Amino acid sequence: MPEFDGQLPVLDVRDLKTFFPTDNGTVRAVNGVSFVVREGETLAIVGESGSGKSVTGLTIMRLLGRTGAEIAGGEIWLTRSDGGRVDLTQLPEASMARLRGSEIAMIFQDPMSSLNPVFPVGDQIAEPLRLHKGLSRRAARAAAIELLDMVGISDPAQRFDAFPHQLSGGMRQRIMIAIALACEPRLLIADEPTTALDVTVQAQIVALLRELQARRRMAMIFVTHDLHLVGDVADRVAVMYASQVVEEGRVADVLSRPAHPYTRALLSCIPRQQQGQPRRRMTPIPGTMPSALATPHGCRFHPRCAYAEDRCIPALPALEPIAPERTARCIRWREIWP
Amino acid sequence: MTEGATPLLAVRGITRHFAGKGPPVRAVEDVSFDIQRGEVLGVVGESGCGKSTLGRLALRLIEPTAGTVAFDGAELTTLAPRALRRFRRHMQMVFQDPFASLNPRMTVGDALIEAVRFHDRLGRAAARDRAAALLTQVGLSTEHLERYPRAFSGGQRQRIAIARALAPSPRFLVADEAVSALDVSIQAEVVNLLKSLQEEFGLALLFISHDLSVVEVISDRAMVLYLGRVMEIAPIDDLYSRPAHPYTVALLQAAPGGGKRGGDRLMLKGEIPSPSAPPSGCVFRTRCPFAIADCARDVPSLKAVRPGHLKACIRDDLTL
Repeated sequence: MPEFDGQLPVLDVRDLKTFFPTDNGTVRAVNGVSFVVREGETLAIVGESGSGKSVTGLTIMRLLGRTGAEIAGGEIWLTRSDGGRVDLTQLPEASMARLRGSEIAMIFQDPMSSLNPVFPVGDQIAEPLRLHKGLSRRAARAAAIELLDMVGISDPAQRFDAFPHQLSGGMRQRIMIAIALACEPRLLIADEPTTALDVTVQAQIVALLRELQARRRMAMIFVTHDLHLVGDVADRVAVMYASQVVEEGRVADVLSRPAHPYTRALLSCIPRQQQGQPRRRMTPIPGTMPSALATPHGCRFHPRCAYAEDRCIPALPALEPIAPERTARCIRWREIWP
Repeated sequence: MTEGATPLLAVRGITRHFAGKGPPVRAVEDVSFDIQRGEVLGVVGESGCGKSTLGRLALRLIEPTAGTVAFDGAELTTLAPRALRRFRRHMQMVFQDPFASLNPRMTVGDALIEAVRFHDRLGRAAARDRAAALLTQVGLSTEHLERYPRAFSGGQRQRIAIARALAPSPRFLVADEAVSALDVSIQAEVVNLLKSLQEEFGLALLFISHDLSVVEVISDRAMVLYLGRVMEIAPIDDLYSRPAHPYTVALLQAAPGGGKRGGDRLMLKGEIPSPSAPPSGCVFRTRCPFAIADCARDVPSLKAVRPGHLKACIRDDLTL
């Protein structure tokens, strides 16, 4: 594990494993995932459906609850605001509950199902302030109105009493952000927070998240399926495929010079049209995402990989450093990295 | 738009209002366009812009409040139901959700055979052969005929839905967010399939999507809708490289990876107003950073910026 200017990362995930027991066998949804997130930094976790990106976020929050999933291995080290470090995998639920909302918070794709439909949105923002910070009803209301203003809701004092159904999708996501940031968490996990929104509203929410994050020096994990959005939102990106990270690095480096064949393939699925050049076809990735019950031997991507050779099959490649702040899980990276 | 030859589809002043409590929802308002034989027209816009309603109006799956649709010169909007049914075979539709558009209790073969025999009086054996041929056309194999939809992935199901739409050998297909529910790697597969079918059979396509990058790859021309009205329509390269309407510019820059980050962006304020109370004059003016007093007066008409490139904006003085 490299050291970063002597400063501890806010989150340090090591070899994390989350398994779901099912009737047909064990689904290894997250299988050996490691990464760090530093203060003031956004790490994007990108992948297709079933890659394990959302379960990774839920595992960090310890929100696996009734899914039946369990942490089967690994460590999740969080550096608290007082400087102390805790391994979230070892915390009893009561201690974890105290950290949720105060040190780490999460927002989801669908704000309508995360908000309580029968309470005014203002009360839902005030709740964590009263719970974690022990504010009085009146002080919490004032702080909530300030938060509404911060996330760009006009007429915040009036909107305090609005119910979720009276607000648009974009405004509801702003409310979720206000709730998540109410107690100034050190880490925000955003799971596809803009996927259900229109592009012009998505651009607004992304700009808001970036601005708030920069102002508060907050660490952020941004889970998304959209590789192009990653360029707008993140500093670093981890690409997940079949429950594992296959490549990680600074966003500009990974998007312009992908080292792993899967990242390359994902980027060429939606080509950017170059002006004055003939229109290109989209290049699909052959085959389908392997079932989590029957992952291929060796490199998980080899059955769909244009560069696969016999030597890709016997053993799972390690996620190895290929440049400063850059890792890839491919034994052929030296030959294929542009 | 070439003069002379009849376009395959000619839509004129099509309008659809939905009644409800209070003022009607103006889903589509005075939209006109042509689609030539074998042409792909993209329709882009955000939710509530009327793009799905427009697709249904083009096929007369719903009745217009005003306006006309002519298919190959024949007026569809006044056609009696039986006569309309004869036209149906030429015009088909593919929907967003391949999980909802296939009957889970019917094998893929039966679903296709039903579609084939609905339009053509074929014997069971002949219909089965045709169903097998359709499956091969969309890149699946004949052994899939006996299986149920649940045995297929999302991308495969969308192929089956396309095969079913192709059953009567249509000349025009409306694809309403046909790839939006799919993962990107599968999206590319289905887009390529649509593109090759279009080239092979000279199929005309109305490709409705909120995803600008997919529209760019598949379309010959595209139309930008906002609150039920056309903002801009242009050949695809023109639209993306030289957008003339402020809304198109904002939409292109808002798209992820649009190349601009932070302050250089034309960032729109607020969200789409309610279609039951659209702003007077230009419907976009309440979010437009370039709106002036005159924009509130009249609904701007579509004017040519250059041949084939039309915009509905009175501000000709902007460099966007």
